[in-house]
Amino acid sequence: MLLTAIRNLLAHKLRLLTTGLAVMIGVAFMAGTLVLTDTIQKTFDDLFTDAFENTDALVRAEASFDDPNGFGELRGRIDASLLDEVEDVDGVALAAGDVWGFAQAVDRDGDPIGNPGAGSPTFGTNWTASELNTWTLVEGDPPRGDEQVVFDKGTADDGGFGVGDQATVLVQGAPLEVTVSGIARIGGADSPGGASFTMFTTEAAQRYVGEVGKFDSISIAAEDGVSQDEVVERIAPTLPDGIEVVTGATVTEENQDALREGLSFFNTFMLVFAVVALLVGGFIIFNTFFITVAQRTRENALLRAIGATRRQVLAAVLIEALAIGLIASALGLVAGIPLAAGLKALLAGFGFEIPAGGIVLATGSAVLAFSAGVIVTVLAAVSPSRKAGKVPPVAAMRDVAVGSTGYGSRQRIIVGVLILVLGAAALLYGLFGDPGSALAVVGLGVLLVFFGVSVLGRTVALPLSRVIGLPLPRVRGIAGQLARENAMRNPKRTAATASALMIGVGLVSFITIFAASTKASFSNTVDEAFTGDFIATSGQMGVGGVSPEFTERVNDLPEIEAAGGIRAGLAAIDGDSESLIGASPEAFEIFDVGPVAGTPDDLDETSIAVSEQTADDEGLAVGDRVTVDFTSTGEQDMTVAMVYAENAAAGNWILGLDAFEANYPDQMDVQVFVRKAEGVPSAEALAAVEEVADDFPGVSVLDQTEYKEEQMAFVDQMLGLVYALLALAIIIALLGIGNTLALSIVERTRELGVLRAVGMTRSQLRSAIRWESVIIAVQGALLGLIIGLFFGWALVTALEDEGLNTFAVPFTSLVVVVVLAALAGVVAAVLPARRASRLDVLRAVVTE
Amino acid sequence: MEPTIDQVTDQPPSVAAAAATRGATKIYGEGTTAVHALDDVTVAFESARFTAIMGPSGSGKSTLLHCVAGLDTLTSGTAWIGDTELGTLDDTALTLLRRERVGFVFQAFNLVPTLTAEENITLPLALAGRKGDKDWIGEVATTLGLAQRLRHRPSEMSGGEQQRVAVARALASRPEIIFADEPTGNLDSRAGGEVLRFLRQAVDDLGQTIVMVTHDPGAASQADRIVFLADGRVVDEMLQPTAERVLDRMKRFGD
Repeated sequence: MLLTAIRNLLAHKLRLLTTGLAVMIGVAFMAGTLVLTDTIQKTFDDLFTDAFENTDALVRAEASFDDPNGFGELRGRIDASLLDEVEDVDGVALAAGDVWGFAQAVDRDGDPIGNPGAGSPTFGTNWTASELNTWTLVEGDPPRGDEQVVFDKGTADDGGFGVGDQATVLVQGAPLEVTVSGIARIGGADSPGGASFTMFTTEAAQRYVGEVGKFDSISIAAEDGVSQDEVVERIAPTLPDGIEVVTGATVTEENQDALREGLSFFNTFMLVFAVVALLVGGFIIFNTFFITVAQRTRENALLRAIGATRRQVLAAVLIEALAIGLIASALGLVAGIPLAAGLKALLAGFGFEIPAGGIVLATGSAVLAFSAGVIVTVLAAVSPSRKAGKVPPVAAMRDVAVGSTGYGSRQRIIVGVLILVLGAAALLYGLFGDPGSALAVVGLGVLLVFFGVSVLGRTVALPLSRVIGLPLPRVRGIAGQLARENAMRNPKRTAATASALMIGVGLVSFITIFAASTKASFSNTVDEAFTGDFIATSGQMGVGGVSPEFTERVNDLPEIEAAGGIRAGLAAIDGDSESLIGASPEAFEIFDVGPVAGTPDDLDETSIAVSEQTADDEGLAVGDRVTVDFTSTGEQDMTVAMVYAENAAAGNWILGLDAFEANYPDQMDVQVFVRKAEGVPSAEALAAVEEVADDFPGVSVLDQTEYKEEQMAFVDQMLGLVYALLALAIIIALLGIGNTLALSIVERTRELGVLRAVGMTRSQLRSAIRWESVIIAVQGALLGLIIGLFFGWALVTALEDEGLNTFAVPFTSLVVVVVLAALAGVVAAVLPARRASRLDVLRAVVTE
Repeated sequence: MEPTIDQVTDQPPSVAAAAATRGATKIYGEGTTAVHALDDVTVAFESARFTAIMGPSGSGKSTLLHCVAGLDTLTSGTAWIGDTELGTLDDTALTLLRRERVGFVFQAFNLVPTLTAEENITLPLALAGRKGDKDWIGEVATTLGLAQRLRHRPSEMSGGEQQRVAVARALASRPEIIFADEPTGNLDSRAGGEVLRFLRQAVDDLGQTIVMVTHDPGAASQADRIVFLADGRVVDEMLQPTAERVLDRMKRFGD
C-alpha cells in the first residue's frame, strides 16, 4: 500500500504542489514567527550578557510591584550616599552608581530620533568611568560637565552627529542643548537592541533624567578571587531595609526573563495568525482528499476487489497525507527563515521596529512548526481516508457517479447546530462570564463557531449558491447558468471550499468592526467630554512627553483661557498594579470626566479619584481609603475623593496634580489640553500655541479632529498589520478554491468536451468557471461576514464597561470585503479556467 | 504532391456537398512510430442525404468524422463544411462554426448533467445567445417523444431517452449537417432502432444532412450511401445498402 500511496503522489504532482502549498504557507508562517522571536530573544540575551559582563553584583531598591503592562518589576531609586558604604565593603573592587531615565535626541530637522511609544526605548543614562562600563568609545571622549554627552553609534548615525557637534536632547523640563563629546558601541552593537542612549556625566544624568542625590542602582565589580556570591554575601548585611543586592548573573537572567515574558505576548499574537493559516490549510487538505478519494472510488474498489483490506485502503490515503505533510512542513520550515525577515519588515512597515540580528531557529521551535504542519495534514485526511476505506469492492464494476452529494443528513444538521451553539456559548461565556482563562475559552468558542458553520455549510450551500448566482443567467447567459448549476451541484464541496475563505473573511470583518467601534467610541467620548480647542502631545504614548514648561507658557498666553496637562504613572493600588493619570485642575476643566461623586477640587496631595466602573467592582465610595504603592515614595494611604463616569479616555484611576508631583520623580505631560480665550479666532490662538511649541521639539498641536486621528492612529496601524497577517490565510483559501475548481474540472472533462463540441467558446468556458469561483468566494465571504458581525458585536458589548460605548458597523468596508472576495474568486479561477479552456475537445468527448 | 493539392483546394469541392475532404491526411506520432490514421482521403457528403462511414477498427472512420466536423485538425489536406475550409479557422471561429452550422450526436455522454433535457436541447442556441424557434423545438421534442421529459435531468432518463435528447439538440438549430459518432453504440436494439428511425426521418422529412460513423451493419443499412474505410483510405462505397449486402462487404475486410 505504501507503493500505491507513493505512486498516487507522483501521478498528481500539480495537485501535490497546490495541496502541499496550503500546508507549507501555514508552517512557514509559524516557523517565521518562531524564528523571529528566537532571534529577538538571542539578540537581547547576548546584549544583556554584554552589558553586565563586568558587573559582579548590583545594589538596588527592592521591587515595589510588577509593571501592569508585563515588562518586569518596578522599583524605586536609592540614595546616592549608599555608594560610599558599598565601596568600603571588603572584596569590592569597584562600585559605580547608575542613573536611568528618559532622554531622546532630536535630529537636525527637529524630529525626535526613535519612537519609544511603539519601538525600542530611548534612554538617558550616565557614563561610568571604570571597567564597569562596557561601552567602548569609537570616537571622542567621555562627557565632561553638564553640557556634554556620548551617543551610541546608532543614534549618532541616525542624527548625523559627529564629535563636537551640537545636539538637542529632550529630557524633563526644557529641551537641552548639548555638545557631543564621544560616540560609543557596546558588545559589537552600534545601537543595542535598537534603543537609543544619551550618556551624561553622573551629575548631569541625575539632574536631567533621574533625581539629584539618587541612583537607580549601584554596579559592583568584585576583587579578583572573590566570587559573585561571596561579594553579595558581604554587601547584604550592610544595606538598609528596602535595599537588596543580587549577583550580576541574576540581573542578566532577570533581564532576559523579563524580555522573554514581554516577547511571549508578541509570540502568541503572531502565532494566532499562523494557527489560523494552518487551520485554513487543514480545510483545504480535507477538501482535496475528499474529492480525490471520490474520484478514485473505482480504483480503491479495484484494490479491495483484488484483496486489499479496508485498513490498507485507509492507510494508503493516510500515508499519502503523511507524505504531503512531511514534505510540505519541511519546505515550510525552510521557507520560514526568509519569511521571518519578511515579517520583521512587515512589522517595521507598520511602525513596530524590532531589533534582531542574525537568524536563530531553536530546535523546539522547529519541532513545533514542523509537527504542527504534519499533524494538521494527517488529521484533515482522517475523515476522507475512512470514506476511502468504506468503498465496497463491487464499486469497481459499477459506473460510479462522481461527487454527487446532497444536503447532508438531519443528524448532520443537528450536530452542526450543536457545535455552533456550543461555540457561541463558549465565546459569550468567555467574554461576559468570568472564567479563569477567558482567552482560551474565547478561542475555543471562535474555533467551534467556525467549525459549526462549516458543518452546516453543506446544508446552506445549495440555497446560498442559488441566491448568489441568481442574477448570473441573466447577466452571463448560459455560462452564468452553468456556473450557478455547477456551484449548486455539489454543496458539500462548495461548502468546504467556501469555509476556508470564511475563516479569513470572518476574522477580517470582525477586526474591521472592532476597529470601527473603537474609533467611534473614542470619537464619541471626545465629543462629549472634551470642551477645549487644541491638544498638544509629544505623539508618544506614556513615554517621555511634553515639558510642563510648555504648559506654563501656553497658560500665560493672552489668547488662551486655560491649558492643563495630564501625566501618566504606574502604581500598585491595594496590591494590584495599575496605570494612573495625574491631571491638573485646568485639565479637569477642559476634559470633563463626568464626576458622579465629589469634584476635581477635592483632589489633594493624599486623595485619588476612581472610575465608577472600578468603584463598583471594588466596592469603593468617596471617603474610602486605599493603599497606593509608588516606586519612589512607597506605600501611601489615600482617600477616594471623587468617583467619575468617563473611563474610556481617562482610565480607571486619576490623581490630582499635587498628589502626582508628590509621588513621582518624573514630571512630563503626555497631553496638554488647551482652551482658547473667548472671542479669539481659532487660527490666531493656534498660531500662538504653535509658536510656543516651536521651542519644544517633538511637540505637536492638534485640533479635535486631528487629536482623534492621532489617538486612534494606532488602531489603523494595528488594523493594517492584522489585515496583512490575515492576508496569508486568505491567500491559502484562494489556493483552495483554485484547487477545488481544478479537481472539479478533471471530473467534468467529458461534459466540458460536449460543451466545447456543441459550440461553447473558450472564453465562455472560462467565464463559467470564473463565475463558479465567484459564487464560492462570495459564499465564503458572506458566511464570514455574518460570523464577523457576531464576533464584533460580542466583543464590543463585552467591553462596554471598558469604554467601548458604540457598536459601529462600517458598511462600506464590509461591502468592500465582499467585493474583494469576489475579485479574489476571479483570480483563483484564472489557472483552472485556462486549463479547462485548453482542454482537447476531442479527447474530452471520447474519454472513457 | 502538396502544390497540386493546394491548387485544387482553392475551390469548394462541389455545390451539392454539405461537407467534404480533399487529400485528407492525419498522422499521429512521428518518425518510425507515426501512424497514418487518414491517408489521402478525398470524399464528399451530399446535402439532404444520410451517409454512413464504415470500416474495421482502426480504419480511421472516427478520425475522418472528427476532422470533417471541426473537432480535430488534419495533418495535411483540407476539410470543408459547405464552402468553409476548416483549416483556415482559429479555435473561436471553429467553435462558432460547430455551434451555428453543425450538430453532434456522440456515442455516450452527450448531455450536460446539470441542465434539464430542454436546456440541453437548446444549449447550442443558448451559447449563441439566441432563443431559437420555439415551435420548431417543440415539434422536434414531440416527434422524438420527449415532450413529457423536458424538465428532467439526464440522470433521470434512460439511455435511449438521453440519446434522443442528443438528437433533438442536433436538430434544434437546424444545422447544415449532423455528425453522429456511433449514436446507437451504447443502446439496446430497440432504443437504437428508435434513434436510427428518427435520424432517417430527419433526412426524409426535413431534408437534413447526416453523416454517421457506425460498425453496425443494421444501423448502416438505414443510410442512403455507405463509405467504406480501411487503413485510412476510402476503399469502397455502396448506394441503397441493405443489411445483408453490408454484412457481406464487411466480411471481405477480414480476408
